[in-house]
Amino acid sequence: MGHTRSHFWFVSPAVILMFVILILPIFVAATFSFTDYNLGSTDFKWIGWKNYESLGKFSSYSKMFTASLTYVVIVVPVSVLLGLGSAMLISSLRFGGELYKAIFFLPVMATLLAMAYAWEFALDPVMGVINKVLDDGCSVGWFYKFFTGSWLGFNPTESWYGGICSDRMPNWLGNKKYALGSISFIGIWQAFGFNMVLYLAGLTSIPRDLYAAAEIDGANSTWEKFKLVTWPMLGPTHVFVVTITSIRSFQVFDTVEALTRGGPSKSTYMMVYAMYEKGVKQNLIGMGSTLTIVFLGFVLVLTMTQVYFINRKVHYS
Amino acid sequence: MQVKIALAVIFAASVALSSSVAYAVTIEVGYPYSSLFDVTIKDTIVPMFEKAHPGIKVKLRATYDNYEDAANTILRESVAGKLPDVTFQGLNRQSMFVEKGIAKSFEPFIAKEANFAKDGYHKAMLDLGTFNGQVYGLPFSVSLPVGNYNMDALNKAGIKDFPTTWDEVIVACDKLRAVGYDNPLFWGWNITGNWFFQALMWSQGEPILKNGKVNFDGPAGLNALKTMKKLFRGCRMQNLAAGDAGKPFNAAKVAMFFWSTSAVGAIERAKGDFVYKTSEFPGMGRPPMGLPAGGNSVMLVSTGSNAEIDAAWKFVKFCTSGEGAAVVARTTGYMPPNKAANEMLGDFYKDNPNKHTAVRQAGLLREWIAYPGDNSLAITQVIYDGLESIVTGDSDDMEALQQELSEEVASMLP
Repeated sequence: MGHTRSHFWFVSPAVILMFVILILPIFVAATFSFTDYNLGSTDFKWIGWKNYESLGKFSSYSKMFTASLTYVVIVVPVSVLLGLGSAMLISSLRFGGELYKAIFFLPVMATLLAMAYAWEFALDPVMGVINKVLDDGCSVGWFYKFFTGSWLGFNPTESWYGGICSDRMPNWLGNKKYALGSISFIGIWQAFGFNMVLYLAGLTSIPRDLYAAAEIDGANSTWEKFKLVTWPMLGPTHVFVVTITSIRSFQVFDTVEALTRGGPSKSTYMMVYAMYEKGVKQNLIGMGSTLTIVFLGFVLVLTMTQVYFINRKVHYS
Repeated sequence: MQVKIALAVIFAASVALSSSVAYAVTIEVGYPYSSLFDVTIKDTIVPMFEKAHPGIKVKLRATYDNYEDAANTILRESVAGKLPDVTFQGLNRQSMFVEKGIAKSFEPFIAKEANFAKDGYHKAMLDLGTFNGQVYGLPFSVSLPVGNYNMDALNKAGIKDFPTTWDEVIVACDKLRAVGYDNPLFWGWNITGNWFFQALMWSQGEPILKNGKVNFDGPAGLNALKTMKKLFRGCRMQNLAAGDAGKPFNAAKVAMFFWSTSAVGAIERAKGDFVYKTSEFPGMGRPPMGLPAGGNSVMLVSTGSNAEIDAAWKFVKFCTSGEGAAVVARTTGYMPPNKAANEMLGDFYKDNPNKHTAVRQAGLLREWIAYPGDNSLAITQVIYDGLESIVTGDSDDMEALQQELSEEVASMLP
């Protein structure tokens, strides 16, 4: 058989598409990040590293890094552990598991943006259902005792709940103390169902006889079985779940745009939102591109380290 | 083969259908804030206009979310070569389109009109759309800040008269809090374009920028920031989100709501069961010396044929000085752009006293100043963040905040 060039024809659509829709835009963004291009302007100037320097110069960008990293540090471990916990509980059920799976998976299927608006109603400081419940609970004896911790002997007026009862209900999205927490909570609420499904799949692939073998070797308690069999056998799942959740947390945008727009005082000013604000809302394409490149770098570094560190401890079967 | 014939038939039919409509010209129009202006433009002005000009068809584009989105959409459409013929833009965003050469001057059209009275327009509004002595934007809707009051709450707190200074507002807050209103006040610091900061500056007769340079670095700026701090702390105002600020007032949770008169129509439609009144915007120790004009104007950005541009001009004229202008007052809380509309309105303001408050303040109309240059929108955000830090309690030292804002804004101005 003669040597033909047909293989080039077979791969070319994929290569061309990859270049046009993935590589080229990154290259364009990287180029723009060294300019002061402004949407609608007819020309632009090359300004070197000035855009990158302003990342260190203005406090709003350091707040951006703080907000993004804090969000990732809160959402990733909590949603991964919640996902694992709920997956193990569900897989140990004899019946009813399907129902729980469906319930916990609902937030994943719902559009986050639409859900964000639902949360906005619930979290409204003056009219929201959450503050209404908390407010009414102040005058219900057992509720008040439980949440102030006075049943444990604490002074009720010094506790957080006692404080808001005697003063005003918290402003979940407008107060710097709570805003990032509220956004993180919604992030966890949305993400853990997905992690649960991944872990359920991981759990079914663990051979039953490993548990039997562990029992013969003297691992009788549930904790020991978990530590010796379940956790290490889930290695590949951990890598995947942690990486995916981290990247998705870095990408958080919907809730920020819908609920806080980066405020109050930039406490929820996430990277993707900053990209959008600079590049789309304020037309500063140069600065938006700079943030895009930095964001890409962040995600890349994060993913590589994670894969490197976790891979070393993973037992692939 | 059959598929091809079917396609050809569909294609021919669609061509025939689209060309069978007998309009001589179609113009495309974009406007912001569908919740405010759908009823004004889409439901009322456009049908009226098409009836008056049977040869012209008005095609509406998707509405812009707000003035920033309106500006950005036009910039993008200009880059992509897909501009509409007419666009409604926030008063403080017009200069950008003139600088970038997107907007067309109205002067040649005005010169051709036999009796086109520039005099009918509020001068401050017309000034805003005038660049280098030429009119580029004609005002469509004018707004001013007003005070919205829940009279049931005020009566309960024993407040007889509307407050006329911010100190009186703070006293009113204390009285309202004493009768159970945990959130007595919301003050629209977050309105687009730093509008309320400009309101406090103009209250003292000072613009926010003078000759393109920062003008809030003096005593007037400090006074404005200190007034805000006093007001927010004295009334324990919460940081309610921008879109939401009207809702707690409508739900009778907030008793005094300082906002744009543009919302009066929406509040009257949505409010709960309480007596609602508006009154003049309070001043800083004395009645305000001026207030920034809010609202939007119509600009011609057409790149089409002469026939289209002529049709677009007819639409602009209809909206700003003809019957269209009276519709603005009837359907929104805005003031009409042109005094000619007042004659068509008759007893309207007698029947709608809440909408009359802004008209009584019309003598105070001053320019809603835009920040020049490419950083225009970014400067708005810097000042927004600064004001937010007063609301959230992050900033206590107003001298320091003033210095920080002045320096940062100065570095961003061209």
